[in-house]
Amino acid sequence: MYGALDISVSGMIAQRTRMEVISANIANQNTILDADGNLSPYKRRHVMFSPGNPGATSPAGRAMGVHVSEIYANPDAIQWKWDPSSPYANADGYVPTPDIDSVTEQINAMEAMRAYEANIAAAEATKAMMAQALRLIA
Amino acid sequence: MFLTDVVNSGAIPALSFAMSFAARRQTILAHNIANLDTPNFQPTNVSTRDFQRVLGEAIDRRRAGPGVGRGPLQWKETRELRHGPGGSLRLNPQTAASGILFHDRNNRDLERMMQDLAENVGVFRVVTDLLRSQFSQIKDAIAERV
Repeated sequence: MYGALDISVSGMIAQRTRMEVISANIANQNTILDADGNLSPYKRRHVMFSPGNPGATSPAGRAMGVHVSEIYANPDAIQWKWDPSSPYANADGYVPTPDIDSVTEQINAMEAMRAYEANIAAAEATKAMMAQALRLIA
Repeated sequence: MFLTDVVNSGAIPALSFAMSFAARRQTILAHNIANLDTPNFQPTNVSTRDFQRVLGEAIDRRRAGPGVGRGPLQWKETRELRHGPGGSLRLNPQTAASGILFHDRNNRDLERMMQDLAENVGVFRVVTDLLRSQFSQIKDAIAERV
């Protein structure tokens, strides 16, 4: 039954990671420079989930659960904005900006939150069962 | 051994079998919930009806056998219920817990999953309560008082 707790925790970790990536996407929706100040618009990140959990403590937990297999930075997520006065505008007057839609990100954030809550409900149920099993001895 | 005879008789083997079934099934339900947003994931489940049939048949067989309702429970393997090491139970989920196929090719059904989870916890609670009352009866018998 500790395996069940491992599985629910893996789901919580995966959804939290997804939430962090969504926050980074929203925070950087107007970022066009990299950390060194060169023109490199922020690439929208996608979180990829796949079943199985290599970081679990028990063999049963490793076979099941979920983990983030990849955080993919989409190189094509660029939106050209008309801003000829910008020092970073190209010859036609367009500036490359991240193609991040805050509505989409908000909806994804809501979905991640609900999935996190579902995992918490499962973990609470498992905890109640573990307490019941321990009461057999007491 | 006297003590294994005491523990391996009456309702206790059936209750502990049901308890390990509910505990193993919990990992499968947790797995389905953890993969709520995993593309191409198809949730699976084990059939509780099959489990009840296997348990009922094992109890009937024990009642018809030489022990007449006593002794350990011999349950038959099915596609989903497997013998693990040391006579334990291993689940091999085959039943599709299908809902509507979503755009990410995951056919989750969150409400059904949560219902299964709540039912599983309820079953586990009832079984452990019954098991506890069995143990307290044995304790009373050993202490020779009520």
